[in-house]
Amino acid sequence: MAERIELPGNWRYLKWRFGNAASALGWLIIIGGLGLWLASGVYTVGPSQIGLVKRFGKFTKSTGPGFQYRLPTPIESVVIVDQRSVRTEEIGFRSRAGVASVHYPPREEEALMLTGDFNIIRLETVVQYDVTDAETFAFQVEDHHRVIREAAQAVIRERVALHKVDEALTEKREEIASQIRQELQELLKQYGTGLRIINVRLQEVTPPTKQVAAAFDDVNSAVQDKERLVFEAKRYTNEQLPRAEGMAQKITNEAEAYKQGRILTAQGEVARFTAVLDRYKLGEDVTQTRLYIETMEAILPNLNKVIVSKEAGGTLKLLNLDEFVRMKGGVTGK
Amino acid sequence: MKTLIIAVVMFAVAFFGYRAFLFSVDETEKAVVLEFGKIVRVIETPGLYAKKPLIQNVTYLEDRLLSVDIKPAPVITVDKQRLTVDSYTLWRIKDARQFTETMRGLRNNAEQRLDDIIYSLLRDVLGQKTFEDILKREFLSEVRNNAQKQVADFGISIIDVRIKRADLPEANEQAVYQRMMSERKQIAERYRAEGDQEAQGIKAEADRKVQITLATARKQSEELKGEGDAQALEIYAKAYNRDPKFFQFWRTLESYKVSLATNSTLILSTDSDYLKLLDTMLPKSAK
Repeated sequence: MAERIELPGNWRYLKWRFGNAASALGWLIIIGGLGLWLASGVYTVGPSQIGLVKRFGKFTKSTGPGFQYRLPTPIESVVIVDQRSVRTEEIGFRSRAGVASVHYPPREEEALMLTGDFNIIRLETVVQYDVTDAETFAFQVEDHHRVIREAAQAVIRERVALHKVDEALTEKREEIASQIRQELQELLKQYGTGLRIINVRLQEVTPPTKQVAAAFDDVNSAVQDKERLVFEAKRYTNEQLPRAEGMAQKITNEAEAYKQGRILTAQGEVARFTAVLDRYKLGEDVTQTRLYIETMEAILPNLNKVIVSKEAGGTLKLLNLDEFVRMKGGVTGK
Repeated sequence: MKTLIIAVVMFAVAFFGYRAFLFSVDETEKAVVLEFGKIVRVIETPGLYAKKPLIQNVTYLEDRLLSVDIKPAPVITVDKQRLTVDSYTLWRIKDARQFTETMRGLRNNAEQRLDDIIYSLLRDVLGQKTFEDILKREFLSEVRNNAQKQVADFGISIIDVRIKRADLPEANEQAVYQRMMSERKQIAERYRAEGDQEAQGIKAEADRKVQITLATARKQSEELKGEGDAQALEIYAKAYNRDPKFFQFWRTLESYKVSLATNSTLILSTDSDYLKLLDTMLPKSAK
């Protein structure tokens, strides 16, 4: 266009220039198109990936990470397979970004299953796997998600059906998971999928509904109740036995004290008696009289006394003796 | 301009030439070459192939592992348990010629046929099994083999038949929940009763030990006291036997000191030995 404005009158020149330019443009488009077509064969393979190159649909070679080249479209094509990354399938629930794992929405129809003792439990499983044989994976399986999910569900249910509910909920959990892993691996190998099961984790193994879960929890608290009762009884034992020992000790100590007291008192009294006896032997009548008088001296000051003289007619003549005695609670004597 | 036109023409010729004379078969496919609807060639190996233009056309078939979901089958077991059995089947196209002839090369037809065959096989087989047998899944290879026999002429190979789920109907599910809860209740009660029993046993044992300990102590105590009394008596007897008459006199006096303590009233006569002196010395008026 630019040329026409520069040289409007010279048709030959124009024709020559335009023809040349058109031809150049034609070549440019052809070469450019060809170049673009050839350049479309450039592709990148990521660090954990492998590129499978097919020529006219037939697999020819595999390529490693980096920039790679294949012949353009109708001739060669490439399938890129992520070989090392761990892939996961979630059975019985779906994880969601930004949602805590306990709140993941469950998939009842996948999660609920029958145990061997005809109970129903809820099982949430994560299957981790990777690709070991990229060729088989890429060319032999139509939908590996579907195959692995279906196989996993079948195997999980088969395995759980061979166990009792208590085993599945508690002590056999790990065992069941590893059985599922082995069997699923075996099955995938048999199907020819090029996949390897890395791990099967039973995330949540719970009773099927809240009500049933409450009943299961009550068993746990019953176990604790039992332990508590036994503990309390043991504490009672630990309290009662030392107390009894103490009391026994007290009883025997008191008895021992009584025994010693009796002996010592006897010895003391005997010592006194012996001393008095020795004196008595020196002058029997005198001592006897003296002891009598001394005793009288000792006891009479503290007593209420009524002395009745012989002239007054003796004690019998005392008036109201009975009443008097009753009042004072005394003793009659001579 | 001419070169561009030539190039476009060449490109078009190459493109249509390729489409008309050649075709490629992918790793994931098998191909059948048809000439006026008649199979003339079956290609199982991937690569580039030639065909006659216009009169031959090519149909491609999947050469991969395929999965088909069999519709859930309601089943009543021998032991009258209702179940809904949901299964899947993995299959491949094995013989492309047979598959094209019988299924017209269409995967939908094959899946429909597989669904019908396996659905009815499962219902037949499961109806003869008990619920426990079904949980154990041992009959599945039998189902697979029977299904394989039925589809052998279709060029289909059945890799596996598996039960994904064997669920109870809703009403039965509720019944199972009720039973689970009452079972748990029983277990909980048993634990609590065991706890009671064990605790009672431990307490009774403690009480028994306490009683024995105390009784033993009391026995020992009585023995000790007896010993004390006996030894005291012996000591007394030994001493008092030296002069029993004096002992009686002395001990009586001692006893007065204790028994005639305060608040006793004693009526004494001046006749008594102790006070007789009093009478002789008192003047008569003093009385």
